[in-house]
Amino acid sequence: MSSSTHFDVTPLDDATLDETGLAPMPGASPTKRRIGRSLIFLAMSVMAVIMLYPFAIMVLISFKTNAQYLIGSGASTKTWQEINSTLPVYQELWNSTVVCTLSILIILVVGVMAGFSFAKLQFRGGNIVFLGIVSAMMVPLQAILIPEFVNIARTGLTNGYMGAVVVYAALGTPFSIFLFTTYFRRIPDELIEAGIVDGLGYWGVLWRLAMPMALPAIATVTVLQFIQIWDDLLVGLLFLQNPGERTITVGLAALAAGHTTSIPLLMAGSLVSAAPAMLVYLVFQRFLVRGLTMGIDR
Amino acid sequence: MSLTSLAATGQRRRPTASLLAKRRRRVGVILILPALALVGLLIGYPIGQAVYYSFTYWNGLTTQWVGVSTWTQAFHNPEMWTALKNNAELLLSVPFALGIPLLVAVMLHQRVAGWKIFRSIYFLPTAISWVVIGLVAEHFFAYSGTLNSLLSSLGLSHAHTNMLGEQSQALIALGITFIFSMIGTNTMLFLTGLATLDPSLEEAARIDGAGAWRIFRHITLPHLSRFIQLAFVMTVISAFSALFSLIFVMTNGGPGYSTTTMEFLVYQTGFNQSEFGTAALYGIILFVITAVVGIGQLRLIGAKDS
Repeated sequence: MSSSTHFDVTPLDDATLDETGLAPMPGASPTKRRIGRSLIFLAMSVMAVIMLYPFAIMVLISFKTNAQYLIGSGASTKTWQEINSTLPVYQELWNSTVVCTLSILIILVVGVMAGFSFAKLQFRGGNIVFLGIVSAMMVPLQAILIPEFVNIARTGLTNGYMGAVVVYAALGTPFSIFLFTTYFRRIPDELIEAGIVDGLGYWGVLWRLAMPMALPAIATVTVLQFIQIWDDLLVGLLFLQNPGERTITVGLAALAAGHTTSIPLLMAGSLVSAAPAMLVYLVFQRFLVRGLTMGIDR
Repeated sequence: MSLTSLAATGQRRRPTASLLAKRRRRVGVILILPALALVGLLIGYPIGQAVYYSFTYWNGLTTQWVGVSTWTQAFHNPEMWTALKNNAELLLSVPFALGIPLLVAVMLHQRVAGWKIFRSIYFLPTAISWVVIGLVAEHFFAYSGTLNSLLSSLGLSHAHTNMLGEQSQALIALGITFIFSMIGTNTMLFLTGLATLDPSLEEAARIDGAGAWRIFRHITLPHLSRFIQLAFVMTVISAFSALFSLIFVMTNGGPGYSTTTMEFLVYQTGFNQSEFGTAALYGIILFVITAVVGIGQLRLIGAKDS
């Protein structure tokens, strides 16, 4: 699989996808071909309707009052006007932002340092430690949920953002290390040695030479982790014990768990919670694609 | 940096090589310490703890060593077997969670008009939380929801269902939602795989008179095998460990235990019933299952490479 190893140079974007050739549509005659393409277009349109259904439903229902929703007709902006009194969206969007930012910062700093070390500063036992850390990617949080919760709760970190932040950081770090190690391995040893001899020191080489080369990997980790942490429920639900520090996703789920809540309100809240992640996704789509397909490049 | 200067530094380096190597190793160890601490303390150590606590009676505060009795009790607990059975049944959704994206990716790969817009639309749900997807799915399957409206408009009012409220159907609704949630990611994977396929291969086969199905079967599918493997493992592991949000908002494990999976049972046993020892034990079982799937994948890849 040689072509997939070029991910650092050319991110998978529209341009590279386009180069792989024009419509390989089988079928001999042009008429047959046209019919085939029309059928595909039709099938893809149906699929698009299915995939857009959640967004359509969220928009439609959020513009109703609960009464209008129950009788099935009418429209109103009342739900949107009153949303903040039931679901503190501003506070919770802020909480999500804080938790995401802190977690991603830790994941990046720890990942860059360790990735550089594993890739370029061979030391005894390094490979085993690397394998150990990377295989932690496979451990589902639920498997260690109970001891993890008790440990963090004992330190008191669950009364604040940091409880969730350190758990997110620990869960995101193995992938980040894997990615950065893969990246840094392609930096020539000579370049690093030259930097050392020129008096940069390892620290200087890492931040001034290696880091700038890893910018695409940094973008990939940031986008992927942002969406993962922003969308997560389990960690936030357990490790953010103060309701005032809940992320928007946790706030939404908590609201849904209380049975008195109106559906239009939940749909409006869903839209608010989904909007930032969708925006990030639309702007940085190619980094997300690359992050999700990284596993194949080994 | 020019080649000559590299050569020069190479020569200058030699006398101090061993000293430099020593320093390099020391810096190397220092740089991994934060990662080691983070992953070791928050992922490695709790695995050991979970094993230890599974042999205790533990309510979160006090522990009491009870040997294997937690284990024997767990294996006599019908709830655990229900959860495992639910997990097994959810695996039936995996072929759909792979097959539909495969079809979608192959269609996208034909590059018909507007395919880029379609691609963005198909990937869009990937960005949103499964909490949100679960809330929408709840509306879709609700008695007054979209599904029954669709049935009515097809003249099938008598077929009205309340899937999330029926013990026999709630898991099916959960499985369908899970399939929907996996479409974006898996389509993305397969499309990436298709982009690495040499179009001249398909072209050559077509000139030789191969039909669409034969091209797919003998060229496209073998080329995608690694991508399909990866998608398979990711989907199976998700089925065991990523459904928490969906279950939490859609059914809360019910009705009864009909949508309680192992991961949800860990949560329920720990945080609703405060039986931390038993919950830790369920976590270990979940860990073993996902580890077996993951190691199976590694061996598959290993077998292929050698």
